Amino acid sequence: MEEELSSPEYLVRGKGMYVDDIRLPNMLHMAVLRSPYPRAKILSVKGGLNGNELKGGVESVGEGATASASETEEPIFGTTSVNYAGQPVAAVFADDLYKAQDLLESVEVDYEPLKPVMGIEEALSMPPIYSSLQTNIMSDKWRGKEFELENAPVVLEDRFFNRRVATNPIEPRGLVASSDGSKLTIWISTQSAHSIKEGIVGSLRLKPENVRVIQADTGGGFGLKGGMYTEYLIAAYAAMKYKRPVKWIETRREHMMASRPGRGVVGKMKLFADRAGKVLGVKGEVIVEGGAFSGGMGEFASNFIAMQVTGPYQIENAHVRAMSVFTNKVPMGPYRGAGRPEAAFFMERMMDLLADDLKMDPAELRLRNATTGPFKSPTGLEFEASKPFMEKALREMDYASKSKAGNAGLACFVLVPAYQPGESCRIVVKDKKIRVWLGGNSHGQAHDVFAKKLISEELGVDVKDIEFERGDTDMLEDGVGAWGSRTAIVGGAAIVSVARKIKDQIEKEFGKYSPELLLSNQFDVYNFEKQKGSMNSLGANLATVELDSLGSVSVKEIDFYYDIGRPLNMDAVRGQIIGGAIQGMGQTLSEEIAYSQDGQLLTASIADAGVQTAEHIPRFDIRLADSRSVLPHGAKGLGEAPTIGVPSALVRAIERVSGKRVRETPVKAEMLLGLVK
Amino acid sequence: MGTTRVEIEVNGEAKSAEVESRMLLVHFLRDVAGLTGTHIGCDSTNCGACTVLLDGKAVKSCTVLAAQASGRKITTVEGLSANGKLHPVQKAFLDKHGLQCGFCTPGMIMSTVWLLSFNPKPTEQEIRRYISGNLCRCTGYQDIIESVKRASDSMTGGR
Ligand code: FES
Ligand code: FES
Repeated sequence: MEEELSSPEYLVRGKGMYVDDIRLPNMLHMAVLRSPYPRAKILSVKGGLNGNELKGGVESVGEGATASASETEEPIFGTTSVNYAGQPVAAVFADDLYKAQDLLESVEVDYEPLKPVMGIEEALSMPPIYSSLQTNIMSDKWRGKEFELENAPVVLEDRFFNRRVATNPIEPRGLVASSDGSKLTIWISTQSAHSIKEGIVGSLRLKPENVRVIQADTGGGFGLKGGMYTEYLIAAYAAMKYKRPVKWIETRREHMMASRPGRGVVGKMKLFADRAGKVLGVKGEVIVEGGAFSGGMGEFASNFIAMQVTGPYQIENAHVRAMSVFTNKVPMGPYRGAGRPEAAFFMERMMDLLADDLKMDPAELRLRNATTGPFKSPTGLEFEASKPFMEKALREMDYASKSKAGNAGLACFVLVPAYQPGESCRIVVKDKKIRVWLGGNSHGQAHDVFAKKLISEELGVDVKDIEFERGDTDMLEDGVGAWGSRTAIVGGAAIVSVARKIKDQIEKEFGKYSPELLLSNQFDVYNFEKQKGSMNSLGANLATVELDSLGSVSVKEIDFYYDIGRPLNMDAVRGQIIGGAIQGMGQTLSEEIAYSQDGQLLTASIADAGVQTAEHIPRFDIRLADSRSVLPHGAKGLGEAPTIGVPSALVRAIERVSGKRVRETPVKAEMLLGLVK
Repeated sequence: MGTTRVEIEVNGEAKSAEVESRMLLVHFLRDVAGLTGTHIGCDSTNCGACTVLLDGKAVKSCTVLAAQASGRKITTVEGLSANGKLHPVQKAFLDKHGLQCGFCTPGMIMSTVWLLSFNPKPTEQEIRRYISGNLCRCTGYQDIIESVKRASDSMTGGR
């Protein structure tokens, strides 16, 4: 059997069908008028489609979705107030994009600017943004149990900050909406056709059977494209109102202002240990900058981070406060890792601090705290024996010799994939062809390759007989989405379950199974393969850097030792690891969304936002644990692992070469000026 | 808003239209010529997704007005393959997994075609420097660099 290519040929021919490539007859182009102020009262809005007509809010769906309905929920349009620079106030429509841009000038908005709340500390000290609340706290929870260890031999405290970063897929957000009077059809760049449908149906109060969402070729997601956005609702509403198709494509500047970014999290940590390096307990406070509105990742993330803060270590006492706060910035969203990198950063920074305090080797300290069997931490983090894994990782990454030069940093972590509630799959066999739909929508991860491989393994057919179909809510009745390192695990399990159902059906009917019987008959089988519990896995990274006198860090090498279960497609695995590592490197060295104190965006372009180029890519050494999950196809999670491990390993390496304690990302050159040893 | 008559040879075919004078070349290619393989990823000339060849030389088509390209020759990604057969650079990107989502790919491929046209055997450092005007958020670039090396090998017969 010929090896299936990991990338589709039509994409290198320029024949992709991304959403901006879709042209429908009589189509309108939408442009959005956005608030120039981070916080203002709106005295009046005249012109365009605005909130005087289209009322209501944006329902939270997808990764980290939460239910809410109040003053603090994001409205479709800012009508009486706006709470971040970039918030939509009106939309205009024209026959082409240039004319739509011109029309923006026809909208008149009367603002009364107010003093914005622009950071976590300000949020905690300034009067509330929302008059219905007493404070700017969006959510406040505790994980673990109170304990008393103030007399422990070693007590260390520190405070960390991961600044906000934009998701920045090279294809921005966009959709085409079209209505024939009864049915609304949406083509969209997305990680989850089903979440988009749920959000449109819920927010615009439509009947589910009257909405169809189809995934266009999707130019990267990284968390951005799983959830609902106000622009989608505006375009959908306009298509129904004007009875013409409506296209909206985000500009990069809009992306920087109004697409939900990730990170933006403070961690205050207190570690209690004995002098042999055994961690006795951890106390902490995680504060997430949720941004202007409640609902979704900003509200969800703090508790999720607090859960993971104990890392792959046997820590018997833990008590962590998890807070999210309101500020006058675009709401936080999921960005690759979505809480996992922050948790690892906080804990790994403390482990390094403890190692330095005790003058111990950081690897030895980690081994001392690793577990010899499965463990569940007081905050709720579950993982398998971490000690044998770390021992193997240190050998595979050649820690002993690489750490000698004094420019390497180590990080160990637990990857918590979004395992529950499972995923759906439908397989249709007809006319000697096998067609497959999967609930999670690929946006560059080559899900089609493993889908075909698993079906071919289960059913003994050639991959050439299998078609992988795009996300389409009319073709697949339910589905979750592609995020949280989940699809190879839960999507893979769903595929295998449906393939086996078909096989059983054939065996029952014909007394035996053969690929010929499969292809010469017709089948249409759907299953939502439910998953309970967790599928957490372990990972480790080692990074080596050099520093010059101008404070510029060059990353020399990144080593990986990950447990991803059975690798389903090595090209894609390598691509996920390296792509994720460069995002992790970006977060560590250059990426940031920055605002001035009065709330104006300082990073309006993708270059200002610090996305890495090809120029400074290090060497990579990728090793995988020889392992299988308990699922029939053996997969575990991967996609987010490098964004978790790489920043923590890199900052330690930077700390070693500069001699300066690193507490935040990005670590910019000016912070390291003249520190070369 | 004023209009201008432009006539551009795109992939060997003459395309002419009366367009708004402010129309960018990238919009002419996508909306007038219907060639959507040239992508738009930014509004600040940073991403390179819109890279095409103008008289054989790589340009970011979002920085050129359609009117400025009038009377000149453009090659887009759709114009690379001959009789349906992939150009060696396209083939190399497929073979070496030089793409994930594929959105940056046409621009990367066009930059590579241009690089190899004047420097058939670039060093790794030259490749990196050269494609650093094209952003990719998915691959981490390593497999793109491998793709460029593969293309160079296959176009020079590995010499
Ligand atoms: S679209 Fe031309 S450089 Fe980004
Ligand atoms: S492959 Fe997705 S941006 Fe390059």
